[in-house]
Amino acid sequence: MPPIDCEDQELLDGFLAETTELLEKLDDDLIALEKSSDDTDLMNRIFRSIHTIKGASSFLGFDLLVKVAHKTEDVLNRLRKGELVVNPDIMDVILEATDLVKLLVSDIKAGEIQERETEGTINKLLPYLLDTAGASQAAAAASTAAPSPVPPSSVATETPASTAAVEATADSVPPPTPPTPAAVPVPAPKTAIDTAPKKAPAPPKPADGKGDDLSDNSTVRVDVKRLDDLMNQVGELVLERNRMIQINQDLQQSDVNRADFNEEFGKLTKRMSFVTSELQMQVLKMRMIPVEKVFKKFPRIVRSMSRDLGKEVELQIVGEETELDRSVVDEIGDPLIHLIRNAMDHGLETPEVRLAAGKTSSGTLILAAVHEGNQIIISIKDDGNGIDTDRVGRKAIEKGLITEEQFTAMSQREVFDLLFLPGFSTKDKATDLSGRGVGMDVVKTNIKKLNGLIEIKSTKGVGSEFILRLPLTLAIIQSLLVEVEGEIYSIPLSSVLETIRVDQRQFHLIGGQEVLKLRDIVLPLIRLQKIFNVQPRGEADDFCYVVVVGAAEKRMGLVVTRLVGQQEVAIKSLGNYLANIPGIAGSTILGDGRVALIIDPVAMSEVCE
Amino acid sequence: MQNALVPIKAEGTHDELIQLVSFNLDEEEYGVDVLKVREIIRMPIVTRVPNTPHYVEGVINLRGKVVPIICMRKKFGLIESENDKQTRIMVMDMDGELMGFIVDAVSEVIRISGSEIQPSPAMVAGGIDQECIAGVINQADRLLVLLNLEKMFSRDEKNLFTGM
Repeated sequence: MPPIDCEDQELLDGFLAETTELLEKLDDDLIALEKSSDDTDLMNRIFRSIHTIKGASSFLGFDLLVKVAHKTEDVLNRLRKGELVVNPDIMDVILEATDLVKLLVSDIKAGEIQERETEGTINKLLPYLLDTAGASQAAAAASTAAPSPVPPSSVATETPASTAAVEATADSVPPPTPPTPAAVPVPAPKTAIDTAPKKAPAPPKPADGKGDDLSDNSTVRVDVKRLDDLMNQVGELVLERNRMIQINQDLQQSDVNRADFNEEFGKLTKRMSFVTSELQMQVLKMRMIPVEKVFKKFPRIVRSMSRDLGKEVELQIVGEETELDRSVVDEIGDPLIHLIRNAMDHGLETPEVRLAAGKTSSGTLILAAVHEGNQIIISIKDDGNGIDTDRVGRKAIEKGLITEEQFTAMSQREVFDLLFLPGFSTKDKATDLSGRGVGMDVVKTNIKKLNGLIEIKSTKGVGSEFILRLPLTLAIIQSLLVEVEGEIYSIPLSSVLETIRVDQRQFHLIGGQEVLKLRDIVLPLIRLQKIFNVQPRGEADDFCYVVVVGAAEKRMGLVVTRLVGQQEVAIKSLGNYLANIPGIAGSTILGDGRVALIIDPVAMSEVCE
Repeated sequence: MQNALVPIKAEGTHDELIQLVSFNLDEEEYGVDVLKVREIIRMPIVTRVPNTPHYVEGVINLRGKVVPIICMRKKFGLIESENDKQTRIMVMDMDGELMGFIVDAVSEVIRISGSEIQPSPAMVAGGIDQECIAGVINQADRLLVLLNLEKMFSRDEKNLFTGM
């Protein structure tokens, strides 16, 4: 393969942006098409997308891409004309082809075209282009998608063979040795390799990985209206600045009296603060993107998993237009994938089991996002068999995570919390899909990183719901400002449980560790003055304040000199050089222009251990 | 732009003109490449950052950006002095990140030709790391030490900084 030789970088960028967008949409549309195969608009849209991709890539000379896109287009064209009927097998092949297109596009994006095996996929497309394909497909469909006994005419022999291959891979069974008359020159191992990343090993992964590679996070699309609003605000800001220059000039020439100046300046300050806070809101809104960006890759994942697991699943997505900060959107993808995989694998039952339990054969998975105050709530709800607390408990005892007595004393909620322990799994054997006990740990870590909470609701036999509560943005947080011997620090309010004023003489010492008896718990204390090496100034006061913070399951008290107040602060990074100071999460700029450091309670608890 | 920078080598075989910002520290005069200097500011309020090496003075707010500040005197092991009216922070671009350095005074921007740069004499006493001295400029009435501040933090220190 030649290296990318594209003279016009701009042209290439344009191509990549457009193709990426088309491909993202394509996945959605294809899944939708499978459900409503007679939607001609949808069909035409899909056809146009792939046609555009083909056209653009042939213009730029990406031959491999053209070849794959062209064959896919041909198959789609036949579907469009009604010469073929949409069925899961065709969709599998088309989806595989789009995956390949994605892969090729991401190669181009990375700037290095690699030699990719495209023949396998193309050869799977070919049978559908033969005249008899329609007929044999119909026959195949009739005989419940088994390789159909089509009369062995010279052309038709190819069809069942390749159909068999497709099905074999779809069921993630090692493909049988292809029947010898195969005009389809796909050696079995190659097919296996080819489809391997798409198959059982980790179905969501390739789709996910590729999706991430493709979706460009360095550029933002902003609604023109928002941009206009922003421009208006900036216009006002310019006016206020001119006003300020004017006031300053007047003052310099001292042709104003003090009272006038005070009044003018007071007004100006108010308007300025109004305009700037508006501006702040506008810019924040621009950083917001709909959660759809993450949600839209799930129908594809659910589809491939349900086929792999042999379960019927209907995915309902609610509130995909809910907006949240891009920093949050980027982080929730992985936890959601794990939760969906869990719901599909552990939660939902196979059609037979469901029917036996008196449910509909097809399970429902609801993915919903909604705003609630300053938070966004994402829930993944299934109507499967729920969490078996007994089984979870037994497994935990078996693994030595808890004792029998502990388990009997546990509330349902505490039992659910066991699920998040690293290495915990109710599965006896790790399968390709689950059982290693990593998933929930990932979920918890990621959610914690986002300052979010996770809650589990589950009723045995009826279903489970995982509820994630996330902050709208990571850029601005509510914080409690505290003073430590003259220095101001900021503690994220989300981790503050309470603040108390206590007499230092009430502190106790246990093994050198200062503790405080707070109601019925013994609270370990950390003196910020000590761990931050702040020079004490002035007389030591007997009274001090203790900020009780909760980090994960641990609670501790931070001893400070004084509480300053609650404030919304914008988080600023300390840069690479000071990135990893223990106990410090970042910094912020206070109203007077000074920098205050933000304390990281989670890291703080680790520092002290 | 880069062309003007590259020839700062101890060999001093180049004749291109190099612009340097010269500054004072203790009794000595130093110079750094003008293109690395973003701005020179007076001392603002510095917020101390705990558990950092002693020469990290803290961080400042530079028009909404938080910039770490290094005290050059402490870094070079010189006697500390009170900040006065002449004290300045040179905000430098260090591999794409801003960092401020406290110096006694900033004097001027000078032009020298590459050939004037001599290798630094071996065995320079004192606390200045050999590595960050790119050379010395010996002019009739002055001696200028040419610094390469990007080399100021040895690899160990960078790790210490980030890996603490």
